[in-house]
Amino acid sequence: MSAPAVPPGWTAVALARDIDAGTSAGVVLGGAEIVVWRDTGGRVHAWEDRCPHRGMKLSFGFVRGDRIACLYHGWEYDGTATCRYIPAHPDLAVPASIRVERYRAAEASGLIWVAAEGTGGAPPEVAGLVALRSLFVDAAAGDALARLAAEGFPGLGPVSGVEQGLFLRFTQGGTAFAVACHAVGPGACALHVLVAGAADAALIPATAAFRRAVEGAA
Amino acid sequence: MRALTLWNHDLDDACYRARLMASLAGVTLDLRSVDAFPGMEHRGPAMRVLTPMGRLPVLQDGDLVLTQVEPILLHLARTGAKGGAFLPSDGQVHARMEDWLAFHARDMGAASAAREAALFGGDPCVHAPAAREGLRVLEDHMAAQGLRGQGFVAGAAASVADVALFPAFALSRDWNLDHDGFPALRQWARRVRRLTGFVTMPGIPDYH
Repeated sequence: MSAPAVPPGWTAVALARDIDAGTSAGVVLGGAEIVVWRDTGGRVHAWEDRCPHRGMKLSFGFVRGDRIACLYHGWEYDGTATCRYIPAHPDLAVPASIRVERYRAAEASGLIWVAAEGTGGAPPEVAGLVALRSLFVDAAAGDALARLAAEGFPGLGPVSGVEQGLFLRFTQGGTAFAVACHAVGPGACALHVLVAGAADAALIPATAAFRRAVEGAA
Repeated sequence: MRALTLWNHDLDDACYRARLMASLAGVTLDLRSVDAFPGMEHRGPAMRVLTPMGRLPVLQDGDLVLTQVEPILLHLARTGAKGGAFLPSDGQVHARMEDWLAFHARDMGAASAAREAALFGGDPCVHAPAAREGLRVLEDHMAAQGLRGQGFVAGAAASVADVALFPAFALSRDWNLDHDGFPALRQWARRVRRLTGFVTMPGIPDYH
């Protein structure tokens, strides 16, 4: 069985500020396991989350300079996803055929976006919005977005100005929101919430209440 | 400085909390190894004299014997030369620390129970939903703390509450809960790891 494919076209998978330089994180996109990591220079990379050696998740590994190393045996991969160093064989010239599958990765609108290799263009840049949080919900992406478009976040007032696109945009209680969504699996998704003006901690309980509401309805 | 005695099992997450707090606070521990698994020594008659509920860790400081992890952490913080930093002087911040310590005691026990079942026998699924819900509540809180510019559970600096709660998240992979859905807790865990005196245990990789 082959692993689920990363879709063509750009999908937001994390807030840019949630993955610091020199760190890695696992992301599941439509069942495809992806490691998103930043080298110490801050450049973002997205690859299949699997070390070719023993299948360990690279997201469990650690970043050193411009390489990510597997937690199991320390195999190091550079920015081209090619293995460059095997600690158990320090004098070995590592064959260039040891590579991890690579995807496109880019930053825009305060988010990290991934796409299948070969996807053209760049993800959308929206002005005047700042990242609030990523909200992980046990509900299908379509159900979560439909409920958000209809009712917004609990307690923030009526929803107006709904626009569906790569972002779901709406206004609630005088605050403009833009929400990008990625499907984790058939019954789980992540909502990456952007807000106009300043990201106010007082909005967090409303997002948690939305998660409870949509999960309670599922 | 006097050494306090800790009855310890290296793979027990509550014992790790005490070792981590002692290391951060600068307390020297005299560790007494208890064969909790597979020997179940902590439930045996000799240990029951010290800990009637058969619970680890046990901290002994002279005549004082403590068997509940939250008071053990607080006592270690009060005792250690560097421990005062983990006891907020501001009344409100201190109250918030106590609130999250109570959350740890009352709501996060499910994470320890899920882990114990996964590692030592039992059904982790019995405890995993409550443990995950607790970590989601903590994720919501840390997402808000991050927006307030406060990097730790009670405020801008690490407190005893962070030491209590960190292992519940850091060890969640032991009971098959990945860190993917917890971006705010990932950031917080990295801050905890960078504290001077931080130590690991099996299941928590020795890097950051």
